[in-house]
Amino acid sequence: MLLRRSGEKSNQSFHLEGITAIDAQGVGIKNEQILLEIADAVYAGDPVELKAVRLKGTQLLSAEAMVDAIGVAAGFNGITKIANATGIPLDESTESQTVDMRRTTQIDDYAEARKSQLWDQHKKPDQP
Amino acid sequence: MLYDQSLPIRDNVRQSHQAALDQIASPGTWFTAAERLAILSEARRAKQCSLCAKRKQAISPYIVDGHHESVTNLSTDAIEVIHRVITDSGRLTERWFIDMTSRDLTAEKYIEIIGVVATSIIIDSYSVALDCELAAPGQPAPGEPSKQNNHQVFDGGAWVPMLDAPQQASETGLPTQPNIGRAMGLVPSAIALFFPVMRSHYSLSDIELGISREQIELLASRVSSHNQCFY
Repeated sequence: MLLRRSGEKSNQSFHLEGITAIDAQGVGIKNEQILLEIADAVYAGDPVELKAVRLKGTQLLSAEAMVDAIGVAAGFNGITKIANATGIPLDESTESQTVDMRRTTQIDDYAEARKSQLWDQHKKPDQP
Repeated sequence: MLYDQSLPIRDNVRQSHQAALDQIASPGTWFTAAERLAILSEARRAKQCSLCAKRKQAISPYIVDGHHESVTNLSTDAIEVIHRVITDSGRLTERWFIDMTSRDLTAEKYIEIIGVVATSIIIDSYSVALDCELAAPGQPAPGEPSKQNNHQVFDGGAWVPMLDAPQQASETGLPTQPNIGRAMGLVPSAIALFFPVMRSHYSLSDIELGISREQIELLASRVSSHNQCFY
């Protein structure tokens, strides 16, 4: 949601589908490929993959920027767990302003009601 | 001192991680220091748990039965919460939450666990990504949990009561106190543990990083997508 807002503030238009899908068009942000690789590697936590992105990130960004990028990714790896584990709804203003964007990026598939629809129906009869 | 001094890690990040580890090793609101350290140990163990791995691979995460590979004496429900949140948080459902909090694990205890687990994920994801040893917490501090209920909560549509705080629009487009900041309102000490760490890594404004705001939000969006996070 905030990437869309950042684009508005800087008068840029981003191809947001590139975030949730493998998309050759890209998002339209400088050095996005290495940033996405850092995000993917931090989430996966694989030491070999991480070593490779640290090297590449230091070359393409800088050591400081690479460490900062890892920091942002690590932060969101934590905060998303709180959102997922508490079932919080979107803030009212965000919900009303992002209807089209959520449809485009298919983020609505991550909504709690959709998850319950998907996963709860697969529970065994004796499960709560 | 946490982390190799040769790495360009910002001082506020080092300090926030150390402060959080000290807090985890102290009595909380509903758990003792030893229990909070057990939550941290369990969180660090979950990624090697065979049951979690099988569930992660399953098309439906709730049809695979078994026992978690645990390293602590925490309750069965506490261990289930910690392992699921660490390994498959994107497929948690309200029905699962209601089941987890229907026995000895109250919603307040659940929130305290989430606070410790989410904080540990930031610290440990960062350490692993920078090829550093996982930070060791100190010895458990003596004392009892405060067991103080927070009554300043309301039903805001989440699974848990949320912090009742003023809602004003900010320049970011989000309210001054967005729902993510209110989600752990049942246990203010969980908010006090998690958000100083989070704010040292990311903030909506007033943060100095070597990447642009758009680059920051790209990273945030991608990781949120991996975690199947709607918020």
